Amino acid sequence: MRPEFKRLKTLALAAAALACGYAAPARAADPLLIGYQMPLSGDYSQYGEMFRNAAELQLKAFNAAGGVDGTPVQILYEDSKNDPKEGVNIARKFADNPRILAALGDFSSTVSMAAGEVYAKVGMAQLSQTASHPEFTKVSKYQFRNITTQAYEGPFTAKWIRQTGPKSVAIVSIQNDWGISAAEEFAKAFKAEGGSVTGIEYFNPGNRDFRSILTKVARAKPDAIYLCMFYEEAASALQQAKQLNVKAPVFSTSSLYSPKLIELGGDAVNGVRMASTFVPENPAPEVQGFVSNFKSAYGNAPNMFAAQAYDAVGIMLAALKAAGPKATREQVRDALAATTGYPGVTGKTSFDPQTREPAKTLAKMVVENGQFKVIE
Amino acid sequence: MVANASRVSVAARWLGLAALLFGLIPALLAAIGGGYPFQVAITALIFVTLAVSLNLVTGTAGLLSLGHAGFFGVGAYAAALASTKLGWPFPLTLPLAAVAAAVVGVLVALPTMRLISIYFAVATLGIGEMIHVALLNWVSFTRGPMGIRAIPPIEVLGLDLSGVVGGYYAAAAVAAAGIFAVHRLTHSYYGNALRSLREDDQCAAAMGLNPVRLKIEAFGVSCAIAGAAGAVYAHTASFISPDSFRFEESILILAMIVVGGLGSLPGAVVGAVLLIVLPEALRGIGDFRMIAVGVFMFLSILFQPKGLLGEASAIALFRRQLGAAWRGDIQAGWK
Amino acid sequence: MPDFFDAYFAQQIINGLSLGLVYALVAIGFTLIFGILNVVNFAHGEIYTVGAFAGLLLIVGAAPPLLAVVLFAMAVGAAAGVGLERLAFRPIRRFSDEASLKSRAMREATLLSSLAVSIVTRELMVHFFSGEMQVIPQAALLQEVIAVGPLTLTNGNLFIFGASVVMLGGLQFMLYRTRVGLSIRAVSNNVLGARHVGIDTNRTIVATFAIGSALGAAAGILVGLYNGNIFPYMGFAPGVKAFVAMVMGGLSSIPGAVISALLLGVSESVATDFISAGWKDMIAYGLLVVTLIFFPQGLFGHGRERV
Repeated sequence: MRPEFKRLKTLALAAAALACGYAAPARAADPLLIGYQMPLSGDYSQYGEMFRNAAELQLKAFNAAGGVDGTPVQILYEDSKNDPKEGVNIARKFADNPRILAALGDFSSTVSMAAGEVYAKVGMAQLSQTASHPEFTKVSKYQFRNITTQAYEGPFTAKWIRQTGPKSVAIVSIQNDWGISAAEEFAKAFKAEGGSVTGIEYFNPGNRDFRSILTKVARAKPDAIYLCMFYEEAASALQQAKQLNVKAPVFSTSSLYSPKLIELGGDAVNGVRMASTFVPENPAPEVQGFVSNFKSAYGNAPNMFAAQAYDAVGIMLAALKAAGPKATREQVRDALAATTGYPGVTGKTSFDPQTREPAKTLAKMVVENGQFKVIE
Repeated sequence: MVANASRVSVAARWLGLAALLFGLIPALLAAIGGGYPFQVAITALIFVTLAVSLNLVTGTAGLLSLGHAGFFGVGAYAAALASTKLGWPFPLTLPLAAVAAAVVGVLVALPTMRLISIYFAVATLGIGEMIHVALLNWVSFTRGPMGIRAIPPIEVLGLDLSGVVGGYYAAAAVAAAGIFAVHRLTHSYYGNALRSLREDDQCAAAMGLNPVRLKIEAFGVSCAIAGAAGAVYAHTASFISPDSFRFEESILILAMIVVGGLGSLPGAVVGAVLLIVLPEALRGIGDFRMIAVGVFMFLSILFQPKGLLGEASAIALFRRQLGAAWRGDIQAGWK
Repeated sequence: MPDFFDAYFAQQIINGLSLGLVYALVAIGFTLIFGILNVVNFAHGEIYTVGAFAGLLLIVGAAPPLLAVVLFAMAVGAAAGVGLERLAFRPIRRFSDEASLKSRAMREATLLSSLAVSIVTRELMVHFFSGEMQVIPQAALLQEVIAVGPLTLTNGNLFIFGASVVMLGGLQFMLYRTRVGLSIRAVSNNVLGARHVGIDTNRTIVATFAIGSALGAAAGILVGLYNGNIFPYMGFAPGVKAFVAMVMGGLSSIPGAVISALLLGVSESVATDFISAGWKDMIAYGLLVVTLIFFPQGLFGHGRERV
């Protein structure tokens, strides 16, 4: 029995020490803290990596410019593995640290919403750069996102396709919350524009062989194909479409906007058209500054996901600044909700006061000769 | 007299364990402060329940199951759908989840029980994946990848257990019930019958046992406990989606009981706690976290291939401390 | 209702066969290794991934002909297999007594130690190469189109088909016509017995791992180039399907595993035509369960001695 007691005692002491550590009041020079949860290991770690790089870039610039009235801001990163149960643990961890004023992340809607239930209970603002589940902002008044939902992007692209001619379209979509809403919103809008949808084909996440789906799509002979997936899957799907001699013009969601799409897909991705909020060729100084800084810091061009994270961090920092160095979590939430016309690299962002949905402008892009080009 | 004394001390030891689970551990968690330790403890307890239930089939009865997360998912979805669509409270959804998972489990078990060794394992893998595919694609019923949101928190007889501390007590109560049930089943002649199936089912059949019936019973009970764990998960997380019930989770649960010691009840508990708490405790080392967890798993199996608390030592411990079936004064046996 | 038995349906069969061949390619090495130890090697998917990365590094570095790439990947795979055996299998193997041989705890421990090694390998790859899909030089891809009437094939299909035939034929030859094969079969039949007649069981097992892993690595690079994606998690999905194919085929039969793999691939592919692609795994696993209900020893398994 003795050694057990000893161990328990050590544990209790450690616990007490930890408790004191948490309870220590913030000193004046201490930085303000925000938490950022993202997948840094597991099969989506590349996205987390990108978010962290973009966040660091934004944060460095912000602190160099004086931070919040001279107080610097620090971001604590936690790895969620894109696993809902870890996401919830992290949310609790952030919530327990009284110095953390708000949270960013997670990557997928599933994890963001699981964590969101915790943030809603403890009253802490959560801003996700990518969670596009239609119900994400309905969890509570503490949920924000800076990505446009598919309810906005779908109709935009549907109209665009109808203008260029195609009357019928086949949709290929990833079977997750984002994919379903993307496919359904688009299908609804396309039918409203007078077009017809030959079918929606969902594939399970992780699938990289699209030949069967593409053959099925080809049989229906649509005038165009609309892809709702991420750029890695799209690169494979487009290569396989080329191989199967599927010739219909391809349109897609903004998630395909990544230089990596062209690197991975080669010739096969030429001609793909998509709407995007982030256009690196945009001459606006903030966009050019971001693109050149990102390239010099990390050696590659930023994609849509990096831009989303860059702006999410920017919006959060602007809200912290507006709330001042002595702000509470509630004040940070209110400052975040008051965001209007934030000039980000993905366009100007404002939050709708009721739904907390962002409003942004979209540009039309096409891949031509291995380059992304803006269509006027 | 002797019998009485030992009965008292058995009761005292069970009380001690209960005091540890319901008194000392929450006190320690509260001393650390905040919701995070409780949240981790809730996750750990849910996985303790799962590991203990898997241990009954895989450890004691020797049926390698690679689809346990599927039954966990059936329970979670049953509870989530009943509470959000029909407004059922936790005291009703908990048994519902257990029954739903047990029914699916028995339906699965009936045709597959004559499979042996790896054939059975692969059949359960296939069934676990089929459950996952159904949860993901049967959008009209399960809402598919959208998941189920706003699952009401736990409330028992007017007692509000919506916070993390309440959630801890609910998870601890279910885990304790699961542990107790599995303990009673395995540390008895019934458990010995299951072990005999594991060692040699033809021999067991020759001794007059009915292996198919025993296996189906064990599988059904195990699935019921996993389903109950699912109900706790659904109500404490308030949002569930098919992502939580993948093949990887089945493997995680299996890893817990192997690290702890196949067939050993305390081993399953220790394994589950370790494999949930360790990744959290290692957050400090950043990107190398999962590598460290893998290395830990490897080393523990390398040095303790029969588990940290192997079956033989665990049974000896139980006989000494908590044994009822082995006490000479009680008439025990098959009817 | 369109007429289903048209050129598209034929194309769908071809898609299914090529998918099935991918599973078969992975299953061949997997079955060989399973056969000798009766333990699932969870790290086979990682060997497949390691083979793909090794091949890719050589392509990026030197752009040699395909045969050299495959041979290099096989060499790396064989080395990795030997390392795997040393690390995850040998320390837990105790053949000296009947009890440990029969102990389920030991068997499951071996399964988990290979899983642990696979987690560490995969996360290390994520750490060094990041989790994303690697850029493959376009010229190296096996996606050159070969049109046969309205149907399309690629040179990748032919290479994978060729590799499967060579591997299957080579293995059958080795297993039934050479001394190494004889000792592999002996060990897989009865370890203690093999030892008693003077077979060096450890050496035989190492040889099996080397051969099986080399085949796995070759599968990795070929499939990676054919599908156009190489990333640290690529081994998981085909690994699970290969496992399923192996069991459906009856464990001890490598041709059985290949036939089951083809069956799985075609059923998945044809199922896509009739139902949503999301449900196709339901068909594949349903097929598995139904097969096992009617053929409890797999399609081509013969009654094994029950241990």
